[in-house]
Amino acid sequence: MEARTLARQRTHGLTKARAAREQVLLFRVGGEVYGIGLHALWEVLLPEGVTGLPTPPYQVCTALAYRGRRLPLIRMSELFGILAERVPLTSRVLLIQAQGRPLGLLVDEVLEMIEVESAALAPVPALATLLRSEIFRGLFRRGERIILVVSEEGLGGLQEVGQFYGG
Amino acid sequence: MAQTTQEATQAGALVLMFQLAGKAFAVDLGRVQQIIDYRTPTRTPRPPAYVEGVIEHRGCYLPVVSLRQRFGVTDEEPLHPAILLLTEVGPDPIVGLAVDQVLRVLSLPRDAVLAPPPRVFGIRAEFIRGVANAGGRPIVWLDVTKILASTEVITLLA
Repeated sequence: MEARTLARQRTHGLTKARAAREQVLLFRVGGEVYGIGLHALWEVLLPEGVTGLPTPPYQVCTALAYRGRRLPLIRMSELFGILAERVPLTSRVLLIQAQGRPLGLLVDEVLEMIEVESAALAPVPALATLLRSEIFRGLFRRGERIILVVSEEGLGGLQEVGQFYGG
Repeated sequence: MAQTTQEATQAGALVLMFQLAGKAFAVDLGRVQQIIDYRTPTRTPRPPAYVEGVIEHRGCYLPVVSLRQRFGVTDEEPLHPAILLLTEVGPDPIVGLAVDQVLRVLSLPRDAVLAPPPRVFGIRAEFIRGVANAGGRPIVWLDVTKILASTEVITLLA
């Protein structure tokens, strides 16, 4: 076999291997760790432009002031039903692209970026949550912890986000 | 399924007997894929009131239902808790059912299973497949599928 063909096959194999893995940003909401595909992430911000902080009761969707624009922001703790008395100092806004539009996610802490095999993502069991299944892409195990990966498209499809955009 | 259950009852049934809050219950042995030691599930966002979370077992992710929570039991935690991996009882291929302690497999002859009265320990007859007696101890044979499908509050009485 020619060296060029071999090299092409190796490159193809590497590309496939790379495609089979994806980068996931881990974040904390309440006491649990969640993930989101890094491809959807635009920016990580301090929660300075979030309206209505830090006074409860919170709504699932509020507004985020970002470079002169007003964007929808999902408080993940509210969405996940976690009673938060205040927004922690470690909280951050993940600015993502969801359904072609910007969307902010207020999380309690940004942890780290890891690589996950796409095939390792398993469906979230139906009995596990009352939330719509579209909100999650799946889950995977990391050590003793099971991590649910949120779907940017599912979050962007939330009724509250649609209402924010006047849909 | 109803026919199979009827046949099984006519010929006698094998059940797995377990304990919850000091009382003896049973589930169809045919639905029990495996019994594993209790491990703390990972909590999930907005779970149903009786779901503790999810666990991974041999590459399979399954929800864990706490029968204590489903029956409103709040007394002290059990010493030997276990999780029964049950098939065909809910929307997921396998559902984990956390119980206080697994007791034994029991063969119930056809005539040993009685139709339940309207309520047994506060549980409505709809959620019970039958009641039996093992060594003078009452056993409540549960219909786990109906218990999981219903949103009715079930409170286990002393």
